[in-house]
Amino acid sequence: MIRKEYKTSLIKLGKFLVIFLIVDFALGMISKQLFFSQETGKYARSTYAIQETDAKVLIFGSSHAHRHYVPEVIETELKKSCYNAGAEGQQLLYHVALQKMIIKRMQPELMILNIDEDFLYHAKEAYDRLSDLHPYYSDYRDDLKPILGLQSKLVDFKLFFRGYQTNSTIMHVIRYYASPQLDYKGYRPLFGKVKPSKHINEEVQSKIEKGVEDIDQNFVAALQMFIAIAKDHNIDLVFVTSPTYFTVDHSMNTSFNRIKTIAEKENIPFVDFFNDQQFMGKPTLFHDPSHLNNDGAKLFTKKLADQIKKFK
Amino acid sequence: MLFNSIDFFVFLSLVFIGYWFVTYKSLKMQNVLLLLASYVFYGWWDWRFLSLIALSTIIDYTAGSRIYGSKEVSVKKRWLWVSIVFNLGMLGFFKYYNFFIDSWIDLFASVGYELQSTWTLQIILPVGISFYTFQTLSYSIDIYKEKLQPTKNFIAFAAFVAFFPQLVAGPIERATNLVPQFLKKRTFTYQTFSYGIKLMIWGFFLKLVVADRAAIYVNAVYNNTENHDGLSFIAATVLFAFQIYGDFAGYSLIAIGTSKLFGFDLMTNFRRPYFSASVSEFWTRWHISLSTWFRDYLYIPLGGNRVAKPRWLFNLFITFLISGLWHGANWTFVVWGALNGLYLIAEVLVFKKRRKGVFNVLLTFILINFAWVFFRANSIEDAFFIIKKICTAPGRLYIGSGDDITASLYATLAIAILVVVELKKEYFNTMFSISNHKYEFVRLTGYAVLIYIIMYFGVFGKSQFIYFQF
Repeated sequence: MIRKEYKTSLIKLGKFLVIFLIVDFALGMISKQLFFSQETGKYARSTYAIQETDAKVLIFGSSHAHRHYVPEVIETELKKSCYNAGAEGQQLLYHVALQKMIIKRMQPELMILNIDEDFLYHAKEAYDRLSDLHPYYSDYRDDLKPILGLQSKLVDFKLFFRGYQTNSTIMHVIRYYASPQLDYKGYRPLFGKVKPSKHINEEVQSKIEKGVEDIDQNFVAALQMFIAIAKDHNIDLVFVTSPTYFTVDHSMNTSFNRIKTIAEKENIPFVDFFNDQQFMGKPTLFHDPSHLNNDGAKLFTKKLADQIKKFK
Repeated sequence: MLFNSIDFFVFLSLVFIGYWFVTYKSLKMQNVLLLLASYVFYGWWDWRFLSLIALSTIIDYTAGSRIYGSKEVSVKKRWLWVSIVFNLGMLGFFKYYNFFIDSWIDLFASVGYELQSTWTLQIILPVGISFYTFQTLSYSIDIYKEKLQPTKNFIAFAAFVAFFPQLVAGPIERATNLVPQFLKKRTFTYQTFSYGIKLMIWGFFLKLVVADRAAIYVNAVYNNTENHDGLSFIAATVLFAFQIYGDFAGYSLIAIGTSKLFGFDLMTNFRRPYFSASVSEFWTRWHISLSTWFRDYLYIPLGGNRVAKPRWLFNLFITFLISGLWHGANWTFVVWGALNGLYLIAEVLVFKKRRKGVFNVLLTFILINFAWVFFRANSIEDAFFIIKKICTAPGRLYIGSGDDITASLYATLAIAILVVVELKKEYFNTMFSISNHKYEFVRLTGYAVLIYIIMYFGVFGKSQFIYFQF
């Protein structure tokens, strides 16, 4: 009697698994088609950088890269095509993954990595947000596995399911179909000027670095990998910090100091715009205390291009 | 170990195989396996607190035997008190010690006496302590009330106390229901197995798709009260109503479903509570295992409604006040409990007949949501600030981080699916049903699609269940 129940359960479970795999395959195909059909938005920009761009200059980094580097200005100044592959909210693990996928197909001449001072401090979000790479896993498994493996040891098992590969992407797809998000070769300008207020002042002042956070060795390794890949492919690499509205003392910031040490050791040019007098305290150049507006971004990109020309 | 983790699936598969394929010939061995598995499950968080469960088991097992074995009422009472003092003492120390010390210090400070907080201790709250202490208490009390005979099978009793599916967040099972199930042979049937799996799948939908999606918006608003206005607080509170329902009802369903895989029946813990037409009805549909626990072991012993009206109202109020405190060592929970008590008193005083209809369902939903503000707010000050903002400054509706509406859309879609399913179950239960469809293909495909939806829309970040903190 019990044997019969076991047998029935096993057969039904088997049938269910087959049906589930078919459902996952069929709906997963549709989800992936929808995902890769996007023309605007963050995923469309990543996909373009990975699959299509042939720009000679590539920009990497978080929102500071995405919002501060104007490819048009770089193209005019350096006479080279440029694409801004900056991704809001993303950190070094993501940038190195993106770099690995891009390098598989093409070889730019110059990569600019915008450095955030806390890039090496442990941040759970840096791991959580790696899920933006899941849709690319089946095509770039070897490149992505070491990085996504830091997020989960069972990455192969989880990403076997197509539904999981495109988890949490559909609303993004619908949103940007309904209302396309314009960008200019990956760059999206910010407008308006910062409103100085006591509140903001206090907030920024309180951010004076104490150097108490933990350095995440995975992030250090990612930065070193980013450098190594560029060197292996004979790509020029420049580290840049973006201007900020307020003075911030980074002397005690162990993350920033470590990044500078690594850059120095690896002979990577480091262009530091932190505390640049031409930007500091100029509300007309900032959208908020840590992001330049379009005018600020153009001025910053021009100044950076001038610096890069000097390296040549 | 969290239900929403790969660890749990590996663990569950191993225990399931061991239970039905290795130890199936011996009831004793099955109970030993469940006991060991339960200790591993709990120890995954913090093995040190296993000693509390073990101690609770030994004390209540002994107390149960002594209460039953003694002919003298005074001895019976003494052992009952041993059980009550131990369980509530343990709960009081780990959960409320610092709360009461801090409250005293605040009270003295409010009248001008500054006291040093040297009495507060660094205490970690053991996960699930509120649940298993109440469960074991029910054993001793039921034996004292002669509703139950103590078991002589220590392993079965220990497995009852630590039974992993419901150990950390319920349902709080009665000894009268669960202990006998450990003493009789369980048989594997396909029907129970498949029903358990179905419950688990729907539980995961509630947790990963409804609760965790809603939590993104709720946390963004409730954890940054200074930056939000009335409309955002209304939206966040409504979403919290679904978050806590999805979280807790989801946990309960996974617990009930998991138990079914091992041949156990746990009690229903939620019955579509937001379709209640009165607050008193709500409490017959929400966290049923706790409500009935308080009814049987506090409200009725206080006299219930078979006393003079003022005393009856007092009994109602005090039961809900204590229920509020059970939820957490914070004045927000006390106010939440008190509010629910006041709602019930108002219903007794104002309404003579049982209420029905859409208007009453909506009114009840609003009242419950008002109380949720206190439940979710990080402090009493925050709660009053939120209520003030709702009443005076509707302002602009926050739609998501960086004006990105996608996270809010996921939550809305998930809640829409939940409401449609529950509406159908509540009012049109005999209509088309996927889970009971006559064609197997439809049933299996329906659940396959549901799992796909969980994978496609779910939040996979190993988030804790809210009720673990209680």
